[in-house]
Amino acid sequence: MQEQLELMLREAEQEISGCSNPNDILNTKAKYLGKKSVLNSLYGKMKDLDAQERPAFGNQLNQVRSQIENLLNLRAVAIKEASWKSEIKAIDATMPGLPFGRGGYHPLSIIRREIDEVFLSMGFEIAEANDIEDEFHNFDALNTPQDHPSRNLADTFYVEGGFLLRTQTSTVQIRVMENYKPPIRIISPGRCYRNDKPDPSHSPVFHQVEALVVDKGVSMSDLQDTLQNFAATMFGHKVKSRIRPHFFPFTEPSAEMDISCVVCEGKGCRVCKQSGWLEMGGAGMVDPAVFDILGIDSELYTGFAFGLGIERIAMLKYNIPDMRILFENDLRMLRQFKGEM
Amino acid sequence: MRIALSWLKRYLPLAGHEAKLADLLTFAGIEVEGIEKLQALGATVIAARVISAEPVPKTDHLKLCLVDIGDTEYPEKDADNRIQVICGAPNCEAGMMAVLALPGTALKDITIAKAKIRGIHSHGMLCSERELGLSENHAGIIHLPPDTPVGVLADRLFALPDTIFELEITPNRSDLLGYKGIARDLSARLNVPTIEPEVQDLSAPLSTLQLGLFNEEPTLCPRYTARVFEGVKIQDSPLWMKTALIKSGLRPINNIVDITNFVMLECGHPLHAFDYDALASRDGATGHPDIVVRRAADKEAFLALDGKNHELCIQDLVIADGKHPSALAGVMGSKDSGINPETKNIVLESAAFHPGTIRKTSYDHKISSDSSYRFERHLSPRYAREISERATALILDLGGVKAMGNLLDSYPSEDQEIILGVRPSRFKLLIGMEIDPAQMKDILQKLGFAYIQDAAHQPGLVADLNQLAPAVTAEQVAQYYRVPGYRKDVTREADILEELARLIGYDKVPQRTVLQQVMDRHAYRIQKKAAEWIVAWGAYETLNYSFTDPAQMQSLGLKEEDQPYIHLINPQSSNQSVMRVSLVPQLLTNLAYNINHAERDVKLFELGKVYLKNAKGHTEPKHMGAICTGAINEEHYKNKLQAVDFAWAKGCFEGLLQHLGLSPQAQACSIPYLAEGEAFAYELDGKHLGCFGRIQSPVLEAWGIDATNLKQEVWLLLWDIDALASATRSLSVTFVNIPKHPAVVRDLSFLLSDAYTYGQVRQQIVGLEPALVRDVQVFDEYRSKQIPEGFRSLSLHIVLQDQEKTLTDERVDALMTSVQKTLSEKYNITMR
Ligand SMILES: [Zn+2]
Repeated sequence: MQEQLELMLREAEQEISGCSNPNDILNTKAKYLGKKSVLNSLYGKMKDLDAQERPAFGNQLNQVRSQIENLLNLRAVAIKEASWKSEIKAIDATMPGLPFGRGGYHPLSIIRREIDEVFLSMGFEIAEANDIEDEFHNFDALNTPQDHPSRNLADTFYVEGGFLLRTQTSTVQIRVMENYKPPIRIISPGRCYRNDKPDPSHSPVFHQVEALVVDKGVSMSDLQDTLQNFAATMFGHKVKSRIRPHFFPFTEPSAEMDISCVVCEGKGCRVCKQSGWLEMGGAGMVDPAVFDILGIDSELYTGFAFGLGIERIAMLKYNIPDMRILFENDLRMLRQFKGEM
Repeated sequence: MRIALSWLKRYLPLAGHEAKLADLLTFAGIEVEGIEKLQALGATVIAARVISAEPVPKTDHLKLCLVDIGDTEYPEKDADNRIQVICGAPNCEAGMMAVLALPGTALKDITIAKAKIRGIHSHGMLCSERELGLSENHAGIIHLPPDTPVGVLADRLFALPDTIFELEITPNRSDLLGYKGIARDLSARLNVPTIEPEVQDLSAPLSTLQLGLFNEEPTLCPRYTARVFEGVKIQDSPLWMKTALIKSGLRPINNIVDITNFVMLECGHPLHAFDYDALASRDGATGHPDIVVRRAADKEAFLALDGKNHELCIQDLVIADGKHPSALAGVMGSKDSGINPETKNIVLESAAFHPGTIRKTSYDHKISSDSSYRFERHLSPRYAREISERATALILDLGGVKAMGNLLDSYPSEDQEIILGVRPSRFKLLIGMEIDPAQMKDILQKLGFAYIQDAAHQPGLVADLNQLAPAVTAEQVAQYYRVPGYRKDVTREADILEELARLIGYDKVPQRTVLQQVMDRHAYRIQKKAAEWIVAWGAYETLNYSFTDPAQMQSLGLKEEDQPYIHLINPQSSNQSVMRVSLVPQLLTNLAYNINHAERDVKLFELGKVYLKNAKGHTEPKHMGAICTGAINEEHYKNKLQAVDFAWAKGCFEGLLQHLGLSPQAQACSIPYLAEGEAFAYELDGKHLGCFGRIQSPVLEAWGIDATNLKQEVWLLLWDIDALASATRSLSVTFVNIPKHPAVVRDLSFLLSDAYTYGQVRQQIVGLEPALVRDVQVFDEYRSKQIPEGFRSLSLHIVLQDQEKTLTDERVDALMTSVQKTLSEKYNITMR
């Protein structure tokens, strides 16, 4: 019996070393350890032995069994490792990946979305209103004198029924102040219209974002901070902002706001006409007259407002020389902004 | 903690506030976890005397009782006011006073009726506490005091109806762990003064019994008081006290234990009573027992009142007699030193312990008691004498005491008093509302804070807050208070400000608006998602002027008669003289421009306003239009080129709707500039959401595109963004449980006549077993020479899944057979 066992063990060793795939392992396992195996039949014969001999013999059988199991496991691992090695194949890593045909946004949209994000994160809300407006919201409520030249047909587009195409998004501020009590904290991005012939720096249709904050205790110092935050987020942290005196009928004091030149970083260049500063738009503290027109207590509340031209920001940021390019919708232009946002 | 309204009313007049008490508590910062209403029992539940109680023959526990109901109206009582009642309670005995519910009484669980038990009439029921709704106790019937007058209503005896509040006291508020604390807090809130219990007579003959007191741990036990009472009579407490304890969830034991519990519930400060004669002497020579406050010895044994043995360690504080621990300090007494029916003389303990020690001992030995619960939350030693005297008064009143000793009081170092300043200006800054200094003073005084007059002239009293922040007005000057000892949680100005805000009411704090909700955030998101969608499908965004050429719009069939144009009065040119009513003309112009600049694969979109005149004026809805032609992918060695076609356009159009949570079906429609039969519109609840279709070649030609030469289909997709925003405004996903059983996929390939559509086939398949057919997918469609003219081959995956069980092969086979049979019959398919 002893010999039979050893013979079988050697035979198994031989066969296991010849296994080359998981299936072989399974078959060999069945042959030597399965129900019909010699080993199993020897277990069956144990009951015929003397009681004293049984434990020793059983021990021997168990040892053989575990030896075979061990060999099988080792071989199975070796087979797996060999197959993993064979998976490694040479590739040409310079071949192109599968292209994903995403499109892109218009540069004006990219700027607009970025502005939205800057102001939303500063706790502003976005308000919109119609492009086709009445004279009250576009001029009267903004404290524009009746004989102000901007009301001329040469400056403003009028449509039938006594309406006009708004010349600035300040109209939205008026509509919001009519419908909501302070505190108000909005930006109003949108289209504006002026009767200008298209040229490198003019377009009859253009885009603006205006900001308006009305609350108790709002001062010019808040305006400074908001502008600086905006400039830094939009153009980078090195950029500085400043405001300087100007005139608008709807703000008092009024200001023109500048950022330090993004091209020359303030040293002076062609883009900034050697001044080191770029003009960004108008700003100021809401004129008490505007509050009075809208029935907001100008003793209790103060506010600031400013307006930015989106075209101008896009042209500065992307170095676009002519505003008309923005409205041609040429794919060769549009594709250049694929990587933005 | 359970608080009974009837008991609370002893300390605070609540008339007019009862209905709102739960809200009052909640807004005082005391969370009401549950409210239990104890119903009135009415005129038919009375005190009655059991005159006799004889066992009912052949039963093991029933007794036939003759019960005296006195003057109580009952038609079937005899001339001596007696009725008979069967009672099964083991503690029912002749001579006792019991609570009787006469027939007709509606109790919490049952309505009592006249009954016949074992052939004997029973006119009602003698009741347990549970049957009256007082507690869960059902061990036996209630024994009323023997001197209770017959016929008195149970409602009077038990102060019913009543309301029980289950309160959650936050761990910082140890002052709220008793009725008086709750009453004090509510009193400040309601502006109603509290009622102090009557001061009772504390005089009694001086006892000759001696007791030694040794406090060896003044840090862990800042105060320990003890008083000996001689010749105490251990008996039941009066009914009012028992009722109060029961309603607060405690079991009455005997007069002494009940008094300690009653005072604990009343004052929030636990007491303990020892059997004087069970206490050993420390030193035999004195001959009198001693109380030693000390740490336990390592491995010292302790048999607690609950019958469990504990092995103590040096961290445990014990109240020992001369030899052994008689109590785990503040946690639980020992079994041997407790009050029992034979007790003659007692020692009353009123003490204060270090909260950390109590918490640790309670945690280590897994003993939690009403006492440890309170001591863990830090009780001031300042009131130990007062509390002891309250209990003393009750013991003298109810304990039949012969004599009592003087109060032994170990109070080595007095509880440190805290003085705090509080500024009205600081309240305004923190809470956002003005506070009148007089109101401030009023609230704090009601809470027990003692105002210090003229604090400014007592230099060194506290740091001067007025120097820190000089007052703007005389009104704004800081006020100074002594913090009451029971408010261990108030140690800084901020804590006092919290008290003021709490008492004034958080609901009174004004709301300072920072956002007006001007923005339509939903519409903004939809617009953003829509643009992101079409960009992901490869389109580039264009921006066109808002005004356009009326002739071009007319030529597309966007006729002014159907949708009037808004005309500019001063246009720059005639081809920019009306506001656009559609994005399509300019998109066509953009397409033509780019094709004429040698682009072939063009996908362009615009998201912008159109301007629609109507009877009332005009609207400016936002639309998104896309015009697409050419390859939908770049040429690549792994991917063959595919062009924009019906499948692409439909996938893109419907994909956005699905992305927004909508899934309406396409409907064939007729749009002048789109090819006949290749235009599809989408509606939801009658609202137009958009359309897509192929641009007719004549239109392309009109825009200067050589359609014949282009050899590409041009598809237009048009979404009404405003309509999408309103259709999706109230949508949200409702989670459905993930199916537990696997899905089975079976394929079906067949020839289908062109007379029928895939949609018809699909509907048929889904309709056969809607609960099982989860999806149908087309994975192949083709025509070839081998296939007869007018037919195509379709191959479908049919996904089957049962929510309830795993699908068997038999079930699936049967379903597939029925699918084939139905499709053959209805659509004449030929299986392949
Ligand atoms: Zn420059």
